[in-house]
Amino acid sequence: MSAATDYAAPAATFPAPHPWWRGRAGLVVGVALAMLVGYLGWKSTLPWSNRLVWNSLTSYLDRFQTWLSDSRNTPHPNVVFTIFNGFATFLDNLVSWFTTFFEKLTWVGTVALGTLVVLRFGRWQQAVGVLAAFASFALMGLWEQSVQTFALIFAAVGLSLIVGMPLGVIAGRSDRFLRFLTPLLDAAQIVPAFAYLMPVVILFSVGPGAAVLTTMIYAIPPAIRITALGIRGVPVNTVEAAAAMGSTRWQTIAKVQLPLARRMLLLAVNQTILFALSMVVIAGLIGGAGLGDVVTSGLYSNPALAILGGVAIVIMAIALDRSTESMANRTDPARRHLTDDKKLRLRLFTLASVAGVGLAVGLGHAFGAGGIYSGRTAQDWLLRGVQKGLDYVQNPSTWIFHITEPTGNFIVQRGLQPLTNFFVETPWPVMFVGIVAIAFLVSGLRPAAITAIMFATIGVTGEWATSMGTLSQVLIATLITIGVGVALGVWAAESRIVDRILRPINDVLQTLPQLVYIIPFIYLMPVSQVPGIVASVLYAVPVVIRLVASGLREVSPDTVEAAGAFGATRRQVLLKVKIPLARDAIMLGVNQGIIMVLAVVVIAGLVGSGGLGYDVAQGLQRNAFGLGVVASVAILALGIALDRTTRGRARARQERAL
Amino acid sequence: MSDRFRVRRGRAIVAAALALVVVAGLAAAGTATARTTKSCGTVTLNEQAWAGSTANTYVAKAVLQKIGCKVNITKITEIPVYQAMADGKTDAVLEDWQHVAQYKQYITKQHTVVMGGANGVTGHIGWYIPTYLMQQYPQFKTWQGLKGKETVFKSPESGSQGMFLGGDPSYVQKDKQLIQALGLNFKFVSVGAEPAQVARWTQLYKQKKPVIFYWYTPQYLNLQYKLSEVQLPKRFKGCLDDFATGGGSVAKYKCAYDHIVLNKVFSSKFAKGGSPAFPILKRFSWTNKDQELVAKYIAGDHLNSDKAAQKWVAANQAKVNKWLGK
Repeated sequence: MSAATDYAAPAATFPAPHPWWRGRAGLVVGVALAMLVGYLGWKSTLPWSNRLVWNSLTSYLDRFQTWLSDSRNTPHPNVVFTIFNGFATFLDNLVSWFTTFFEKLTWVGTVALGTLVVLRFGRWQQAVGVLAAFASFALMGLWEQSVQTFALIFAAVGLSLIVGMPLGVIAGRSDRFLRFLTPLLDAAQIVPAFAYLMPVVILFSVGPGAAVLTTMIYAIPPAIRITALGIRGVPVNTVEAAAAMGSTRWQTIAKVQLPLARRMLLLAVNQTILFALSMVVIAGLIGGAGLGDVVTSGLYSNPALAILGGVAIVIMAIALDRSTESMANRTDPARRHLTDDKKLRLRLFTLASVAGVGLAVGLGHAFGAGGIYSGRTAQDWLLRGVQKGLDYVQNPSTWIFHITEPTGNFIVQRGLQPLTNFFVETPWPVMFVGIVAIAFLVSGLRPAAITAIMFATIGVTGEWATSMGTLSQVLIATLITIGVGVALGVWAAESRIVDRILRPINDVLQTLPQLVYIIPFIYLMPVSQVPGIVASVLYAVPVVIRLVASGLREVSPDTVEAAGAFGATRRQVLLKVKIPLARDAIMLGVNQGIIMVLAVVVIAGLVGSGGLGYDVAQGLQRNAFGLGVVASVAILALGIALDRTTRGRARARQERAL
Repeated sequence: MSDRFRVRRGRAIVAAALALVVVAGLAAAGTATARTTKSCGTVTLNEQAWAGSTANTYVAKAVLQKIGCKVNITKITEIPVYQAMADGKTDAVLEDWQHVAQYKQYITKQHTVVMGGANGVTGHIGWYIPTYLMQQYPQFKTWQGLKGKETVFKSPESGSQGMFLGGDPSYVQKDKQLIQALGLNFKFVSVGAEPAQVARWTQLYKQKKPVIFYWYTPQYLNLQYKLSEVQLPKRFKGCLDDFATGGGSVAKYKCAYDHIVLNKVFSSKFAKGGSPAFPILKRFSWTNKDQELVAKYIAGDHLNSDKAAQKWVAANQAKVNKWLGK
């Protein structure tokens, strides 16, 4: 063990003394070749034995759910359920309070309020953007649904930040707390909502409350992780200086760490909003009314409407993101130097805004404008337009189809199918030992041990074959995600233009419900597996890009300048200074990339990837709770194993040192 | 929107401003609306994703509105909706595809949900192929005709076997087990949820290529595409249709899918609450043809769901009057 570690350390800083095939890379290739020999020689001779499976696990889980439901639905449920119920009622009321509030304002008043708040605290460009967003909801005829979704998201994001940011600050200051929290966060992000939707519904009933809760489970982790990363990014000597000057702990946090981590905190808010909006469709399944419903039922009976619903979600995401950002920037104490004159003007403006909103509300009521915009919409016209596009895509006699179909067939026949066969049909001991050996070579003993435990778990739950099928696809999706994500992230950090182009694209990809763009894609490339991989990559890449790019930008300009003064070229600065210094952010990006790919395994299963995702979907909708949970555990195990295997030795060593 | 980024300066003003807005809004609203209460009150119906369910729900809505009920529509997915009914958050589901496990738990054991009887529509699941293919290979009328001819259905992902296109994971199914029990050389390929499956087979249909897949009636697409069913072995006593809830050996599944009576289910609270809407929904019953027609208005012709329902109601006064007890 120690010999291997010693070897790795110099290799990172000096040119390798041996050709690559003498190093660890060579060993990894060797292991892979041995596995290939195992596959070719003993193809499908040794599937995971049924005797090694804990078969009664699923029925235990099923019985647990039945018990839960029975004890909840009695005339006098015990106090625990009453507490859960009270919490759900609180959330329900919160959301419906927001909705009624907007209704009481009338739609005219709502528009005035939204626009003027952004105008007062942000920049006018963003206020115009908000106005345009409102106009688009009205034009699409989705006003009511948009308001419902907004109320839901507002509650979910607010609560997620209230819970997540303090935890993030603690995790940023305490390594032990971060280590304790990380697996929980991984689980919250990877375990598909489909798996726990039914217990959530039994405990919290259906409705906006349950929807907010489910959304929070998914939206809190990024708030915590990115806040912690931001706090950790504050230079140690600054914190020490603050302490030396006699700051108390609270003063250090409030006056030094938080202000200096401002950029990352903003990213945390932004990601929390986007993550929350990506749950809108799932929230719709359990009574979180709004745009999610439009998408779900649209997919079955009116795909063009589903696309409009998806577009509305994206518009809401971008408007929310841009306006929160501009408000945060404009109110940044570091950048704002208010003279008395300016202050007076701002106060007058505030008063004028209040009067404006009041006037709008009054006018709205005077002219009988309802809470919901009910004037003329362009919905029919838009639907016809979208439908025309869909008809084109669905027509197999166009020239595009003659390119996309053979491409898809080729990828499946030459690439994915053989790879899946390799994973599924290789005798399990060969696969098991091979994967653990690779984990050892890449990341060391402890990650290898964890990987071994994870794969054993997968086997014992009886999901070996299914998991291997999923693993083959997850592996490809992850490789593409990390490759593309890191490259684009670096490029975006280096070039403003690229950053500006990528940002809206990232917002769209993170929030547009995958089914909305994957279903038309299936018409063009009608093969299973490919659409699932495309959906995973497109969903996961934005997070990697963002984390990598903001990590690189965080690198202190002094260091970069110093390197420049020593005559380093731009390339050298990037490779030898920026990337090594931004390693934490880049590793978080890689970790999040893996997690995001796994987070959409269920969606991938719903568009043709089959495997574990399909099982989880069945779990919710076919009353096979046990199966769904077991499949989710397998997905989580894959996630942990992949994460540990890809961490590399440096990170593993660093963690031991903590 | 998040407060934490905002400076302290001017915060008091903002708070005051917001309070003013709230007060103004509430005051204005208080005077504007005078509640109109009808004896029926509000009825909450649940609509599920497929078009047939939309058709039931909106037709019932149109009828209930005639007697002055306010109708809310929730869109909760199939299994969680039982908890919604137990809590009285949803009053009725008008099309339930025999969720036997839920019947046992919520209806028999907990008494939180009550059975509302058949909605008149019979569901049937089966193996379907396009009619043009049936004409080309008349032997595909029964499953025996498929034997040895499986490779007709070859696809990129099925290797040397034929491809059987599986159904939506949320639907009742046993196709993997059937394929095994019948000894057919098919590879079961799941392309996922119904919209994805439809994308796949309609694309093959348009190219007049062979395809065999899990499908069902009533379904509005059956009016747009000509499909024929492949006969599966006759049903025998104790034969099962749903592997996810049944489990066990494949032999138990070696028969055609049954014809399923689709049920209405109600929340107990609603059933006992004395709402005038309850007897009407209890009498609600129509035919496969009725439902397919309304579903086609909605999903095929993209008519607004309310308008589609009203169109049918206007043309079928006799049926509606029967539900209304006239």
